[in-house]
Amino acid sequence: MSGRTERGNEKRKQFAYGLVAALIGVALLLPSQALAHASDRGHVLLLPTGYYVVGGACAVAASFLAMVLLRRPRRRAVAAIRLAEVPAGLRIWTSLLSFLMLAVLLAAGFWGSRDPLSNPLPLTVWTIVWIGLTLVQGVFGNLWRWIDPWYGPLRLLAPILPAPRRLPSRLASWPAALLLLAFAWFELVYPAPDDPYRLAIVLGAYWLLTFAAMATFGHAAWSRQGEFLSVFFRLISAYAIVSERDAGGRVSITAGLPGTRPEASSGLSLSEAALLLAALASVSFDGFMRTFVWLGAIGVNPLEYPGRSAVVLPNTLGLSGAAMLLSSLFFACLAAGRGMAGGGPRLADLAGRLVWSLVPIALAFHFAHYLVALLVNGQYALVAFSDPFSLGWDLFGTAHAPVMAGIAMGSDAAWVLWNLQAGVIVLGHVAAVLVCHSACAAIYDDRRRALLVELPLTVLMIFYTVFGLWLLSTPTGA
Amino acid sequence: MAGKRVDSILSTKLSRRGALTGAAAATAAFAVGPGFVRYAQAQSSAPVKIGFQAHRTGIGAAYGRWYEKTTNAAIKAINDAGGINGRPVEVVIEDDGTDPGRGAEVVGKFATQHKVDVAYGTLFSHVVIGSAPAAGEAKLPYFVVSEGHHVASTKLNRYVFQPGITDVKSQIQAMAPWIAANAGKKVTQIFPDFAFGYDHRDYLPPALKAQGADVVGQIAIPPTESSFTKYFPQIPADTDVIYHVMVGPAVLTFVKELGEFYGSGGPKLFGFIDSLEAVDINSPGLEFLDGSHFWEGSPRYAQEGDSEAQKAYRAAVGIDANGASVDDPKDVSTAAHMFGCWETLYVIKKAMEDAGYKGPEDRAKLVEATEALTEFAEGPEHPQGAKTFDGKIHQCFGIQNISKVEGGKLKVVHKTRIEDGLYEPEGDYTTQPL
Repeated sequence: MSGRTERGNEKRKQFAYGLVAALIGVALLLPSQALAHASDRGHVLLLPTGYYVVGGACAVAASFLAMVLLRRPRRRAVAAIRLAEVPAGLRIWTSLLSFLMLAVLLAAGFWGSRDPLSNPLPLTVWTIVWIGLTLVQGVFGNLWRWIDPWYGPLRLLAPILPAPRRLPSRLASWPAALLLLAFAWFELVYPAPDDPYRLAIVLGAYWLLTFAAMATFGHAAWSRQGEFLSVFFRLISAYAIVSERDAGGRVSITAGLPGTRPEASSGLSLSEAALLLAALASVSFDGFMRTFVWLGAIGVNPLEYPGRSAVVLPNTLGLSGAAMLLSSLFFACLAAGRGMAGGGPRLADLAGRLVWSLVPIALAFHFAHYLVALLVNGQYALVAFSDPFSLGWDLFGTAHAPVMAGIAMGSDAAWVLWNLQAGVIVLGHVAAVLVCHSACAAIYDDRRRALLVELPLTVLMIFYTVFGLWLLSTPTGA
Repeated sequence: MAGKRVDSILSTKLSRRGALTGAAAATAAFAVGPGFVRYAQAQSSAPVKIGFQAHRTGIGAAYGRWYEKTTNAAIKAINDAGGINGRPVEVVIEDDGTDPGRGAEVVGKFATQHKVDVAYGTLFSHVVIGSAPAAGEAKLPYFVVSEGHHVASTKLNRYVFQPGITDVKSQIQAMAPWIAANAGKKVTQIFPDFAFGYDHRDYLPPALKAQGADVVGQIAIPPTESSFTKYFPQIPADTDVIYHVMVGPAVLTFVKELGEFYGSGGPKLFGFIDSLEAVDINSPGLEFLDGSHFWEGSPRYAQEGDSEAQKAYRAAVGIDANGASVDDPKDVSTAAHMFGCWETLYVIKKAMEDAGYKGPEDRAKLVEATEALTEFAEGPEHPQGAKTFDGKIHQCFGIQNISKVEGGKLKVVHKTRIEDGLYEPEGDYTTQPL
């Protein structure tokens, strides 16, 4: 299916996707010479960020205009390169290994250092998995499928487990969407998500509950409908350059241009769309809740931030408000576009097709907002892995490596970081416009109607570009 | 004797996990570590446990990182020199998220769960104020390194001490003689419009008055402000000195706009390095600070006349001649404050030795022994300089540095006397029951 094409500017689209993926890939692989401290916002305030905001908005608008003006090319098949073929059974072992690592991490959470920057559990959960793995998935495909810590144990226990019961399909992926919101709340609002002990309790409980749900309803069903990481990671990897396909007990791993995979153009359910919207809203709120604007609005002096425990209620409301606002805007744009185009598929179906355009934006936000944390806390993680229980071990020779926080400090780093962040934000939105355009072109035969339906969403994307760049350049205090 | 030993140890490079690795690590270290022989005599003694309330996450994290490094270095030095009362010292670190609510929780955990001997290390004032009642309730001696006036105000409780860093009221007061004699008699203050700024607003004018100088203008800037040019016309034309204590991400913008407002002329500038702690003084936008003066608790840059103790301290903590990490020259330290961690740990050591401290049952004795301290001599244990200690208000008083921005560095041009910063005690903790 790698040769599947849509009506629309496929060739250019693929080139653009390739470019986006390549740039994100390059950015991920850059040596660590260039990253700004979170509190180094002061240096960013002196940069001409206003020009970037205007330029970014123009670039996204121009990419839409290019779609309007450019001629549709003929359909053309694009070959994928086969990278490897591995036995499907390997997944049991990689999952078991992951389960084992989780057990060690939980033990570290309960009995290791109390310092969240020395204990490997919070560093793995927040830095390696939530930040790092999300970005890796975006570029290199659904690795999570191989390392989810339930598959292996469930397969081992399969002979003694009862036959799975049917999970009602009307539940769709709503459990996963709600769990993702709960996870976002724990990350952004709960006062101590980094505390190793409390994190170990929450993570241990989540593993057990998920295990029970999977044992009851089957691994596949619960991974599709209830386990939020599996759903999120599957969706976020839809435009990766690497993909895989099961075929007769073997898994074929291929590399191809982003956007050429069938799953990236099939319709998502309303609940999956809601999950993607919630994911993007949560990263956006993570940035917004630190701005002077939000802190001022909730009556907090940004120079004397009272700590998370003082703002649980306003931030809970803010996070849910952000998810509702973004969803409302998204659906309002779709409804407006559908109205302008004189009808078309049901709104929910349209949403299921067009919500894919949020994937590149979510990835870009993730990259831009968590880049500094990834680079600095990633180093703490390397140190912690060598001595997970603070027993004076040096398993990987990194226990005494100095953590170079300076890679993200000072005006030079701020300049490089800002450019990386702004570049990725703009590219993410340009990619979103391309995805949206190609989806609309596939739905509507009439070119004019296709352009009309995507117009309001494109305006939303231009606005979100401005918002994203503003978030990264406005004064912050928390 | 301890001091001499420290000198020789301080030249050893310290890894960041050297001391703060928790209970198990400390126990393991006893068996194999260099301190084994010395501890052997006191093998039956459990380690002295110090609960380090650290700002590892939240807004204080940049400070917290350097407080951790300094603590690490001091604990290593203390342990290498034989520990406290022949017992090794172990640090139990708990993150408070720079959150007063969690701060109180952490102090409670130190008392009941970790059963530490003392709690220590808090910087941010609101966390100190939030945590102090928990320390009082648990009767857990709580040694903060915050520079706030809250301890000395005697509004906290008998278990809270600040013996390693001078409080802000004293710091401000100590600046007045130099400002009046060298910078000018007419001072305009620009400060953020909240508690941090109010300390400067309230304590400077009377101190200047006593020196025959006056505050001619006070401009309070709303904390959410990020552009300042509109406030500058409020600066009285006859101002000799602008005394500025802006903080937050917009500080660089403030300095840049002030420079644009005055061009090459304008009044002299005097500031507190709190505005630019951990920020490279040569950052773009700060050019206008060239030739201006700053308060520094301890000098960021190595100075020509640095004592051996100061050199040894800098080497132990791992900062280079520019006050940045020796491993990472872009990582500018919080030099003006973090020395307080080093010195506070040595005060704890001294007080425990004076009290013959054996365990939590001796906490009251430890409080009294700390209150009985009166002065600390400059040396390896107090590299920032000599200090006096007022046991009634639980606060130390030290010399302060006034540094000039010159050639892209901060050069100390004046050291205040301890007496410059003394004031009438506002109460007496020793009258409170233990």
